[in-house]
Amino acid sequence: MASQHNSLAEAAGPEVSLPAGKGHFKSDGLQLRLGILLIVLTGIGPSLLGNSYWEHTFQLVNIYIAVAVLQNFLFVDAGQKSFGQGAILGLGAYGLAIASGIHGLPLTVGVLAAVGAAMLGGLLFALPALRVQGFHLGFATLSAAIVFPQLLIQFDDVTRGINGISLYLPALTKPLVLGMSGLTLLVTAVPIAALLLHYGIRNARLGRRMRVAAESAEAARSLGVRPGFMRALAFMIVSAGTGICGALYVPTVGFISPQGFLVELSFTLFFVVVVGGRGQLLGPIIGIWVIYIVPNVLLVQLVEYRLLIYGFLTLAVVIVFPDGLVGTIEVRRRKRFQRGGGEQGFRLAPFTEMLEKIPPRQVPAEAAPILEVRGAVKRFGQVVALDGVDLKVRPGEVHGLIGANGSGKTSLLNVISGFSRMDGGSYSFRGRDVTRLSASSIARMGLGRTFQTPRIFTDLSVWDNIQLGLDARPTPLAPEMAALAERFKEAYGEDNPGLLAHGQRRLLEVIRVVFADPGLVLFDEPAAGLSPAERVEFSRLLRQLSKRLGMAVILVEHDLDLVWDIADRITVLETGSVVASGPPQQLARDPAVQHLFVGGAHA
Amino acid sequence: MLSEIAIIVIRGVAIGALFSIIAMSFNIVHNATRILNFAQGNIFILGGFAAYFLADNAGLPIWLAMLLLASLVIAVLVAAQGWLTLLPLRGNTSEQDSWMISTVSVSVIIAAILMLLYGPFAYSVSGPVPAFRIFGVKTPGAFILAIAAMLGWYLLLSWFLRRTFTGLAISALSQDFDAARAAGLSVRRLQLLAFGISGVIAGSAGFMVAPIISVSPDAGLRYVLNGFIAAVVGGIGNNTGALIGGPLVGVMAMLMAYKVGGAYQDLASLIVLVVILMFWPQGLFGRATARRV
Repeated sequence: MASQHNSLAEAAGPEVSLPAGKGHFKSDGLQLRLGILLIVLTGIGPSLLGNSYWEHTFQLVNIYIAVAVLQNFLFVDAGQKSFGQGAILGLGAYGLAIASGIHGLPLTVGVLAAVGAAMLGGLLFALPALRVQGFHLGFATLSAAIVFPQLLIQFDDVTRGINGISLYLPALTKPLVLGMSGLTLLVTAVPIAALLLHYGIRNARLGRRMRVAAESAEAARSLGVRPGFMRALAFMIVSAGTGICGALYVPTVGFISPQGFLVELSFTLFFVVVVGGRGQLLGPIIGIWVIYIVPNVLLVQLVEYRLLIYGFLTLAVVIVFPDGLVGTIEVRRRKRFQRGGGEQGFRLAPFTEMLEKIPPRQVPAEAAPILEVRGAVKRFGQVVALDGVDLKVRPGEVHGLIGANGSGKTSLLNVISGFSRMDGGSYSFRGRDVTRLSASSIARMGLGRTFQTPRIFTDLSVWDNIQLGLDARPTPLAPEMAALAERFKEAYGEDNPGLLAHGQRRLLEVIRVVFADPGLVLFDEPAAGLSPAERVEFSRLLRQLSKRLGMAVILVEHDLDLVWDIADRITVLETGSVVASGPPQQLARDPAVQHLFVGGAHA
Repeated sequence: MLSEIAIIVIRGVAIGALFSIIAMSFNIVHNATRILNFAQGNIFILGGFAAYFLADNAGLPIWLAMLLLASLVIAVLVAAQGWLTLLPLRGNTSEQDSWMISTVSVSVIIAAILMLLYGPFAYSVSGPVPAFRIFGVKTPGAFILAIAAMLGWYLLLSWFLRRTFTGLAISALSQDFDAARAAGLSVRRLQLLAFGISGVIAGSAGFMVAPIISVSPDAGLRYVLNGFIAAVVGGIGNNTGALIGGPLVGVMAMLMAYKVGGAYQDLASLIVLVVILMFWPQGLFGRATARRV
């Protein structure tokens, strides 16, 4: 195991020190298998044994598990807290019951009605999710959970109010094989499908991008992701799935009424996810066992105290074991089997070496600028951060941006990447005016950036952190790059980014943005916190990016030696204005900026 | 017709005053901690229960004494809740997961305890301010009390947050925790104080207006929601916004009840909330605190 991990490091340098023992960054695969096993056991076990009480109990439990699995996905992978999933389940149930139970429409229509109704409800959360997140949506979902049962009673001509709707489907409950009915098989299959969906999305491009949007909206936008869209999409996916659960709820219980979908149900589902372990695939299943099965089935005399127990249990969990039951075990496991870090934790050398084998790309001297900023003005209240800045960057050019703290460098980067709007002036990227475009659209046009504090996601492995860049790529990788990516995957697939030193995190972010294949990259103080050796590695890479891949670079950096060495042109900012701009040699003679270098090597 | 409008406006403003008070109790905690206490509605209802058990039909002196007692006890309870909520956060209160979970579970715990002790009934309470007539319609005195409490708390909080050292320190927290800590403020103590103050605001309001609210274990959620809507309309953290947002939401709810029936009030709240979040997520009056740059 260790040797496999070392292959990359060996290629890069002789000395290797890596933790021995095999490491698995995540236990998702194991949790998935365990989860399926538990669902199958409780789903078909009672039928095989011929125990109809347990059969019935676990049919309902399995439906709740499926709903909680979807909520778990929403909670962590999309980062949105919903207190309204009980209402969405109810919408699905009522969709089927009204269509097929009252109006006698075929079951296929009923299921479609269930999914449609649930998604319509989901839209109520998804639309505000385009603009807001977090507690705002928490209140919106809570509000829906309160209103839903009231509406069922209000519109009793449609829903039969408190009388409820009965719907028995004898064809479904009749034993098919080995005492198992179609219903038993369905309520076993649906939570498994929900679990597979969660696992599948999480390990796909969509899931990774959703996760980034949930954890850092800025990083997401810089990778071309629209966080609001991701949130809305997550709500819609979860609503559709919950609608199917609602459709199954009807034949399972045989009768539905507003009492079945009170706000307490939504709270319970929420607590299940928290107690089981937010974000753990197995979490909702264990959560249901603790929250639902124990008090409802084993300790029936405590039923009255149910909500009180749930409340205290959840409060205790969030204070004592914030990761939940499964999460606490997972954290210990991860610590025990973690690997990565150390001096060889992450290095640029293999990447740079690969680049050096690519033939240089010539940029014609007269090529149109890839970026042109005209008279950029940015104010924060009384403070003028940018006061009419002009800037031109040619393709393949390394453009240094220097100036004292507060001179407007980061403000300029934020304006260029679309994170903040100019108050005056305009700019174009790749020949197109992008002054009014959103950050994510500009990123999708091929503008990448890093941040002063690297955005590394500690719940993703080192390789997954790199892969976020690949996910943002518009075109497939060239063969030699693909081979390199494969090597990175082998080397860092199970590495814990939490073990990386600060400088390594920076370099990791650099590789991520480079893999996204931008035409222009903005580096915001990339060398801060790098060791001297890392600094050398970084400047070597930077040169190759421009020379071999034809990437233009804007480099904001306090290390003037570094800028001086690699920049083709340098722009000097002072209190929001450009005081000088040109090739380094020319700047060295410019009296306007000489004071910057006084005492330095270039005075 | 005119009298109908007048009644709608007066009742709407009075009900809205309650939302506004809850919004202000949200704001002080939010400014000091970035936390929105989901239990605030049940804390408000707790005040109502205190009025029922301590001061139903009581004379003014007893009523006042009990109001003071109930407010203090609730303040201590909410400060304790704040301590629990902040416990796992260690300075980084922007981590929403944790506090949303803990404040929601406290909300559920309060409702569950009230339900176990007093059942799912709404208790009616009579207060010390007699009813009066407006346009020939009998109007409970607590309506006036609600509006007075809103204005009183607004003025008191404005004075406290701008003119006292402690208040200024809490305002400083809303700008930047680290800077406040660096300036030598004991952040955690101020945050607990903010929780306590929010308890006094919500608890005393619930006590005073008990005659016009539904004092029942399941009513808290409705008040916390409408209080939140008032806070969002006014811009979260902005008390002046809350002063306008509360009555706005209240009058709208009354108008809705008058036009299509009271049963749709919660639906109306939901729709208003969704629309506000979609189109004016920063509120109609913007944020009081400076935006980070």
